[in-house]
Amino acid sequence: MIHNQTFRTALKYISLILIIATVLVSSALFSDKQYASVSFALAVMTCVIFVTGYEQKKTGTRRLVISSVMTALAMTGRLFPILKPTTAIIILSAVYLGSESGFLIGSMTAVLSNFYIGQGPWTPFQMMALGVIGFVSGIFGERLSQKRSLLIIYGIICGIAYSFIMDIWTMLWHGQGFDIKIYLTALATAVPVTIQYAVANAVFLYLMAKPFGDKLGRIKVKYGV
Amino acid sequence: MKSFSSMHPITQAVWFILTALCVMFSMNPIIAVVSFTGAFVLYIFRNGAKGLKTHLWFFAMWIGIVIINPLISHNGATVFLVINKQPITMESAVYGAVSGTVILSVLYLFRTFSQIMTSDRLMYLCGKLSPKLSLVMSMALRYTALFTQQTRKVQQYQKATGLYKEDNIIDTIRGGVRIFSIMLTWALEHGITTADSMTARGYGTGKRTQYAVYRFSSADTVMLILSVLFGAVTFTAQISGKMNMEFYPKLSLTEITPHGITGYISYGILVILPIVSEITENIKWKYYLSNI
Repeated sequence: MIHNQTFRTALKYISLILIIATVLVSSALFSDKQYASVSFALAVMTCVIFVTGYEQKKTGTRRLVISSVMTALAMTGRLFPILKPTTAIIILSAVYLGSESGFLIGSMTAVLSNFYIGQGPWTPFQMMALGVIGFVSGIFGERLSQKRSLLIIYGIICGIAYSFIMDIWTMLWHGQGFDIKIYLTALATAVPVTIQYAVANAVFLYLMAKPFGDKLGRIKVKYGV
Repeated sequence: MKSFSSMHPITQAVWFILTALCVMFSMNPIIAVVSFTGAFVLYIFRNGAKGLKTHLWFFAMWIGIVIINPLISHNGATVFLVINKQPITMESAVYGAVSGTVILSVLYLFRTFSQIMTSDRLMYLCGKLSPKLSLVMSMALRYTALFTQQTRKVQQYQKATGLYKEDNIIDTIRGGVRIFSIMLTWALEHGITTADSMTARGYGTGKRTQYAVYRFSSADTVMLILSVLFGAVTFTAQISGKMNMEFYPKLSLTEITPHGITGYISYGILVILPIVSEITENIKWKYYLSNI
């Protein structure tokens, strides 16, 4: 159990930075087959963030259960056709529940929904992409919850960012090392999907932002959270 | 003895991690082919001939990689075609073939992995690492099933009260949003109630224990020791560069030494372990049946 608040916060940010650094550094350093090392390192780092940050923190039972409820909702959202509300749900729950829960919900959604869609060496990457989106949304939570227009713009950025992160994976999967040409090609071929993500995020954030806030407010009044 | 698919999750996880890492880190044609054969045979052994579409899709991807790689990467000394002033080299095509085989075998391994490592097994493994994480996972899986049921109930109720018109898209979307809103409220309240119930029953007051049906038997010990042993031998051969393969500028496999050969053989044994275990159990089962 880590009681020191500052140390805990520091640990939280350090592990996040480490995760991102692992991807960038190892994709730049190794000449081939780095998708293997990157995936492996990511899986380990993700576990580290849980074990150090989440496990040792005294998280309230209510928040824990609400996190799993939101994970289930986001998972169901991933099975929707064309426009998927997954990222929107992750962003919203991170905004209201905090960055750690955001990371947990994002990465858990990736692992668990892949049981239906298909596990693969890409799972750690999706975990990281969705987890980081949740984490960052939690950091900006207060500002995002006040202004809906800001939230929608943020959602569009997240959709694009998700595509950018996953295309690093596409590039590494190709096994040629860090090759800007392959990366740009991957980005170009992914444009329709990127637009799909961005539109889905904007639409669902627009539709759900107010009801979600209202409902959580209602829960707060009713149960005195 | 037990067959591989009924072994302890830790044994299975160790085998999968070792086999996958060995092939992912090496760009060696022999390792790639051995690993692909092993993964493919294991998959076919468990699933039979069904799922032809998946196989075709995988092989189409392999051919795609072999064709695309020389078009993107122009390294290599043996040029056999020049398109648009860009050389197409044999080395690059071979590199594509090897990396395609590696990718294919990893894909087949993961297919089998997700069949064997069901969510309850994965939850058990996570529970060893972090009980809270495993709790969140199991609850999320439970809620997904619960949501589907409840959504159907709400939908039928809404239909029965006459809230839907036939063939009106806007009405359908509105109905969908309404149902989602209902479900959100229900889910959140249900979650809070569950959490309160958990607290009332003493969740978080003591050490969390887990219900597990997996027993670590002698078969697991044997399998675990064999996997670690052969995995380690392969890794040492790989790290010491006895199994290296150079693709550019000219294809050259490192001279095959006894150390390299032990590496190849031990990887072959590592890959074949679960197949042997499955086949032995299968034969035993048939033998016992014939005696009844």
